[in-house]
Amino acid sequence: MASPYQKRIQLFKECLTEETIDMKKLKKLCFSGIPDSSNFRSLCWKILLRYLPAERNQWESELKKQRTLYRQFLEEIIIKPGKEMHGVSEESSLASDHPLNPNPNSQWSAFFKDNEVLLQIDKDTRRLQPDLGFFQTATEYPCRELLEAQEMETLRRRVEHTLLISSDVERNRTGTTNIPTKSRTQVTAEFGHNPCKDGEEAHWEVLERILFIYAKLNPGQGYVQGMNEIIGPLYYVFASDTDSEWKKHAEEDTFFCFTHLMADIRDIFIKTLDHSELGIHAKMRDLMLLLKRSEQPIWDLFERQGLKPEFFCFRWLTVLLTQEFPLPDVITVWDTLLSDDNCTEMLIHICCAMLLLQSNELKKGDFAANLKLLQHYPPIDVHVLLKRAVDLRESAS
Amino acid sequence: MLVLVLGDLHVPHRQSGLPAKFRKLLVPGKIQHILCTGNLCTKESHDYLKTLASDVHIVRGDFDENITYPEQKVVTVGQFRIGICHGHQIIPWGDVESLAMVQRQLDVDILISGHTHKFEAFEHEGKFYINPGSATGAFNPLDTNVVPSFVLMDIQASIVVTYVYQLIGDDVKVERIEYKKN
Repeated sequence: MASPYQKRIQLFKECLTEETIDMKKLKKLCFSGIPDSSNFRSLCWKILLRYLPAERNQWESELKKQRTLYRQFLEEIIIKPGKEMHGVSEESSLASDHPLNPNPNSQWSAFFKDNEVLLQIDKDTRRLQPDLGFFQTATEYPCRELLEAQEMETLRRRVEHTLLISSDVERNRTGTTNIPTKSRTQVTAEFGHNPCKDGEEAHWEVLERILFIYAKLNPGQGYVQGMNEIIGPLYYVFASDTDSEWKKHAEEDTFFCFTHLMADIRDIFIKTLDHSELGIHAKMRDLMLLLKRSEQPIWDLFERQGLKPEFFCFRWLTVLLTQEFPLPDVITVWDTLLSDDNCTEMLIHICCAMLLLQSNELKKGDFAANLKLLQHYPPIDVHVLLKRAVDLRESAS
Repeated sequence: MLVLVLGDLHVPHRQSGLPAKFRKLLVPGKIQHILCTGNLCTKESHDYLKTLASDVHIVRGDFDENITYPEQKVVTVGQFRIGICHGHQIIPWGDVESLAMVQRQLDVDILISGHTHKFEAFEHEGKFYINPGSATGAFNPLDTNVVPSFVLMDIQASIVVTYVYQLIGDDVKVERIEYKKN
């Protein structure tokens, strides 16, 4: 007699091995959580994010096409400009250019402008999920072209502040010169992890590269803080795939899945849309309306205490709850979010359920206590939370 | 990696400060390291350099207020060993053979010296020599017509691309010189 868990695995297996995957069926299965065993999650997320088509026989060609495309982006955006800039070239356009060129059309000033974006990405990816060792450890599949290129630095080195190794030369009265080797202790710890050796690349550097390419390809939107939090779980799932064929290409796959995901939720990252129908403020208003409908007393309480949604659910909505729960829980929540046809609506329902689950606590507390409670959301069983959110949604419709 | 090389400012004794055109070019956030050949001469000039980059290496010139700067210094940038020396100790001043002697003593790939207030960058017996000149265009006892100049090095693995900035008349002229380590 197979256990329910094994039955579920069997169901997933059947669903994923069909020639043409029944999206409705898959979504329904994923909605209540994807089993941790094998590489179901990594596969399902790729299908749910429309990176892999439903027809299995197209997978290979599609993957090949997309991965080559990413390599091209990498080549065009990072490798080629880097080589041209620092390499020995006698091109006319470069011969007249110099690092301090104030002309905005100069390649060098574009380089420094990129560095500003890069610095922000660097800071954010470095401190991504600091309580988890994963992002600080070296990846098995670093970008060789970049690491081995002689003419250019890796992205992280471009914005890193370093001190040169130096020693003062001393000469005594008899004329002997002495160069003492002063060993200056370098700052080594990065969140308690040793920095990667030369020729290695940490997982966060891969993310840095993906985000930089994304920012360069979407100049209208650019990089906004919080994107790092969204890309984190995606990359984590893909890079810890059990199948090494998939694991090898985690970087490319993450880039496209991230792009697809951002296409759904990008409106909340665009500043000019903030106050429009699509922006973040509208989303927060929806949440408060939902709260009012489902539990009026809490809504009244928030009104009375002046607890504005900006104070707590701004972060919940923008980074898709990645900061509220530990990573395994986040991934469970995302199983549901990604498999829903209307991702934002589901998100709002989950947020509302989060408020409702704490209603007893909220009623007892004053402004300060409530704010603290919501900003540091207590650990809960996410399955209870998801159940509540689903109930909420069913009762509303 | 961008390394700024400059020296012989002689502020405030011989010049009031860097030329306005240079000040406009030198903005924080671009340069990572500064190598200075000395004769700043005051703390104020040192503080100004610190605003451009946090990593500043200075050797002592014959007019420096601060006597704790070392006479000579060796820094390592990537694959390059770079020696810095103000140059008033090297006699005759700016002489190639004498400079080559210091280069051998310090065992460096690039030797940076100043004092002559005259820009120079050349290869000699496979080693590279840079004299950034005077960044303020301060006079020197032998020459009152000094062209303000400084040098910026872009160091990548085994290649150094040197950009020379000179203020000729009212225009900043930039020249590019390459040196490859063999």
